[in-house]
Amino acid sequence: MVIVRSIRRDDLAPLMTLVGDAGVGLTTLPNNEGLLRGRIEASLATFAGTADKADEQWVFVMEDVAAARLVGICAIAGAVGLREPWYSYRVGTVVHASRELGIFTRTPTLFLSNDHTGASELCSLFLAPDYRVGRNGALLSKSRFMLMAEFRDRFAPKVIAELRGVSDSTGRSPFWESLGRHFFSMDFAEADYLTGIGKKSFVAELMPKHPLYSSFLSKEAQAVIGETHELTRPARRLLEQEGFRFEGHVDIFDAGPALESNIEDIDAIKKNTAHVVAAISTISTTALAASTAEASSALMLISNTRLSDFRVGLGRCAAAVNGVTMDADLARALDVKLGDKIRMVALRPAERTAQA
Amino acid sequence: MFVLRPAELTDLPQIEAIAARSAIGITSLPPDRDRLIDKITNSRYAFADEVDIPGEESYFFVLENAATGEIVGTSGIAAAAGFHDRFYSYRNEIIVHASQELKVSNRIHALHLCHDLTGFSLLTSFYIDPGFADSDLPQLLSRARLLYVAEQRRRFADKVAAENPGVCDTDGRSPFWDAVGRRFFNMDYPQAEQLSGGRSKTFIAELMPQYPIYVPLLPAAAKLAIGQLHPDGELPFSILMDEGFEADTYVDIFDGGPTVEARVETLRTVRLQRRLTLSPNIKGAAGDETEAIDAAEAGSAVLSIIANTKSEGFRATIAPAVFGLGADGNHVNFSRETALLIDVDDGDAVRVVALDPDSHHLTGASW
Repeated sequence: MVIVRSIRRDDLAPLMTLVGDAGVGLTTLPNNEGLLRGRIEASLATFAGTADKADEQWVFVMEDVAAARLVGICAIAGAVGLREPWYSYRVGTVVHASRELGIFTRTPTLFLSNDHTGASELCSLFLAPDYRVGRNGALLSKSRFMLMAEFRDRFAPKVIAELRGVSDSTGRSPFWESLGRHFFSMDFAEADYLTGIGKKSFVAELMPKHPLYSSFLSKEAQAVIGETHELTRPARRLLEQEGFRFEGHVDIFDAGPALESNIEDIDAIKKNTAHVVAAISTISTTALAASTAEASSALMLISNTRLSDFRVGLGRCAAAVNGVTMDADLARALDVKLGDKIRMVALRPAERTAQA
Repeated sequence: MFVLRPAELTDLPQIEAIAARSAIGITSLPPDRDRLIDKITNSRYAFADEVDIPGEESYFFVLENAATGEIVGTSGIAAAAGFHDRFYSYRNEIIVHASQELKVSNRIHALHLCHDLTGFSLLTSFYIDPGFADSDLPQLLSRARLLYVAEQRRRFADKVAAENPGVCDTDGRSPFWDAVGRRFFNMDYPQAEQLSGGRSKTFIAELMPQYPIYVPLLPAAAKLAIGQLHPDGELPFSILMDEGFEADTYVDIFDGGPTVEARVETLRTVRLQRRLTLSPNIKGAAGDETEAIDAAEAGSAVLSIIANTKSEGFRATIAPAVFGLGADGNHVNFSRETALLIDVDDGDAVRVVALDPDSHHLTGASW
């Protein structure tokens, strides 16, 4: 069984092993022990409620319980851009028109913005390659919405997710080559690393501040504005199914899209429900589903509701008037006992019922 | 002998022929009869009007071979660039992108669309018959304008600018336009200009990109074209450079050619010219109609640009002149023929500057 849980101090060593595999592009997850330790401490403080708003970092890991192996990571930044400016380019349009001259030119532009300042950010998603099967990716990505559903006040009204932009197998980004490189003589991978270790605003200080006409960039670069890296497309699809939209903000280095949604419009949060555990069955929930009329036939994201040891898993649940019946394995994995409060929502948006 | 004078409507056929021959870069000399008629008419009003502050006046001069009546060149001055509206140029700027933390400091060249030169007086319409390019006439054509400015200071701004043609290939394609303007117009510049139908360039300028252009993002050919002069513009440009114009700050928003600027009083011709009195009789007998520079004087004569102090009747020419005459040294003498040509009489004031002012510093009262 695979679950997602809040990160612990003793996760550092397995985490180092995990991110060694991530490669270029995961800017919020640099392969740097000191920084990873810092992120773990920040997460512990955040869950404990002792972190400053500006420093809040909710970090989760995915664990294969049976194998006792750490196989994935994801995080939420509580509010971006409150310590250092948060930059993105807003893709805009400037129209140059003259009726008399018969001219109507639509020119795409890039405006440097701090529009996302204060937003909560979904970030640092990484799943070990051998676990990129089944529903693990969806569980990892959506587990965060379970926490947000339970503790909505701890998050900003606007939630964003920056997705990795297009680069080739050597890490060469056409957007960076056409824009950033002129202003900053270093490779994208290096700029990306500097960003990851918290120097993004320093790098940004070297980038052009005035609005840019996209038409001055290479055709290759223009083509990747707002486009997602091939390997990140499944992640984008997951977010889009939850209601996230590309609203025209892109990363200043690789032009990858920032998807955004209001927190109350995220489908998994909107249709999330709270229940009391009425029974724990030794029969598997699949069998329960088959035998009980009220059983949920859909695969559900199920979480406990504790900040101290937050856990999310996948399972089926039989719901009754007085509460839900969970199978014993899942209850154990989520550390849930009779009478505890849990949250759940169908994993697949199509299987969710409209519910307040 | 050649004389520079305000253009008249009777000059139209000859000016039309010149406009047809002149390069694309000389936009102030359009090959269009109606526009040329307007230009001459406006110029005649400008010279005739009593003007206290520079406005929409545009002064248009022609250079005439006095013997044949042939016009061999033109030049002009617009009193206030972009008077009704704005005068656009790109200003070269350096933006320093620096990070102490990363130990990086980059100097980024950017072009800022600006209206800085709005209200400057503008030297325009320079054209010389190629057969006279190597003569002294280009000096007369360009610099006699400045004698008019010196005499008529109220009519002009304290600062003066001049546009110069940028580089283009033999088909008239400008690499700067192709990299910048074309993106917003998707047409050749001559075509865009033609479309604008003789309206001011402001009309087109308003369709140009308003945000700064980061030069590193431009293709190499366009970068090279910034501030680069078209070979056809070398002659008038070199005269302006000798006058002390600055060429580093502004470029044309269409072809990237250098737009030069200076304060009027720093221009060499303006600094070194003198307002003197014509006094051929100081040495000769009063009323001697055959009076001319005598042999002794001819030896000390300096080849000079000489202009009268009239407006409508403005005339200027190049001729030898003898300076430093009279008790106060403020008198000048030149040939009777010259006096007739520029329509001055004994006792009249003239503006004079040596053709080569660096080797002949004139004495006498300053303007």
